[in-house]
Amino acid sequence: MSLTVFLSGHLKTFSNGELEVPIDGNFATVGEALDSLWKIHPALRDRVLNEQGEIRTHVNIFAGTDDVKRLKGLQTRVNSGSELHIFNAVSGG
Amino acid sequence: MRLFMSNENVLMVGTAKGLFILRGENGKWNIDGPHFPGLAVYSAFFDQRKGRNEMWAAPASWHFGAELCKSTDMGKTWDQPENRRIKMPKTSKKSLENIWQIAPGGHVDSLYVGVAPAALFESHDRGATWKLNKGLWSHPHRKKWTPGFGGLCLHTIVAEKDDIKIAISTGGVYQSADGGDSWKVTNTGVKAYFLPDQYPEFGQCVHKIARHPKKKNTYFLQNHHGVYRSTDGATTWKEIENGLPSNFGFGLTVSDAGSVFIVPLQADGQRFTCDGKLRVYRSRDDGSSWQALAKGLPQKNAYEVILRDAVSSTGNNIFFGTKNGKLFGSADDGDSWKMIEGSLPEICCVKAYTL
Repeated sequence: MSLTVFLSGHLKTFSNGELEVPIDGNFATVGEALDSLWKIHPALRDRVLNEQGEIRTHVNIFAGTDDVKRLKGLQTRVNSGSELHIFNAVSGG
Repeated sequence: MRLFMSNENVLMVGTAKGLFILRGENGKWNIDGPHFPGLAVYSAFFDQRKGRNEMWAAPASWHFGAELCKSTDMGKTWDQPENRRIKMPKTSKKSLENIWQIAPGGHVDSLYVGVAPAALFESHDRGATWKLNKGLWSHPHRKKWTPGFGGLCLHTIVAEKDDIKIAISTGGVYQSADGGDSWKVTNTGVKAYFLPDQYPEFGQCVHKIARHPKKKNTYFLQNHHGVYRSTDGATTWKEIENGLPSNFGFGLTVSDAGSVFIVPLQADGQRFTCDGKLRVYRSRDDGSSWQALAKGLPQKNAYEVILRDAVSSTGNNIFFGTKNGKLFGSADDGDSWKMIEGSLPEICCVKAYTL
């Protein structure tokens, strides 16, 4: 299976400047797809997930146009050719 | 601005929007920054031990977490290697919220980091590797500590050799005599007005402690309502509030001359400088009496908040910063003050050093 992960510009420090990362592998869920992403850009993991492996509170991940926090989180299923988008939430002060 | 400092001072000023480094050279301040623009910097430390020039800072992104960064060129460049990240162990079932303190350890290659959720991390190789202090983490009180408004944070670390004092909000003062293997609670005499038992063994909201530079068993404590002194190594505490307009505040420092400096704030529910006047209070007799210091500070419509790490001293030069972004300094042990910067972002910490 293959899909493309699109990153917020705020994360480019941790992805060698790449904002569009194609990944290939044997994955069926968002979490498994991200495991493939971490192999390419390991520094992204700790910025997107916390130490308990959960999506950080102020980070949003979309499978296509769906916020995975409103679905099954990292267990949300993905399809080949789909897109994942990782954004910082519109929070701050 | 033209200045008054006789020695060359370095200030690391952490703000809600980045770190600023100020150098007082030839009577003039030069400001460099913001480093880590947009990120909150609640802790910084300039390690000059053994001739090092290693600056540490902990920028925190509310989105992507807190980092521990080091510079060996006075802030021109910063590193943040992945293997040095401060991370809560998976088994802790916790995740790092912020780094509140970077402090020198009691041995020359040791460093400590205090974090939220309240925990102590230690390094004994000049910060190359870090580990959770398991003695404190396994303390039976830990699960009963509760967060204050700023989170459940370990915000103060005072170490000399194997003697370590820490302060937690809310938890109170704990100390170790064996380099952190075991810890005892030492809050005797410190009030917790917000609890049914107002003098509990632990659970106090201690905002800051500091040690007298010459009297090694004398410590001072700014509490969430209450100012205290200990003369037995931070074990028992007595109130020293005579002459203060309020016993509430956050920051606390002790100059080389042994003068204690605090900035009282009006009551818990208001939390700004008393009577609309920005006044620093100094004690030259270990807290038996206090003197209001106002020369050079605004005395009209001055509603400032000074956070727990935003008061600092090096030698007899005293500095503090406000949530309104004003940075003040005194070169005469507090007798007079000048504003160094007036429009920085909210100041979270001020750390003063002499080159």
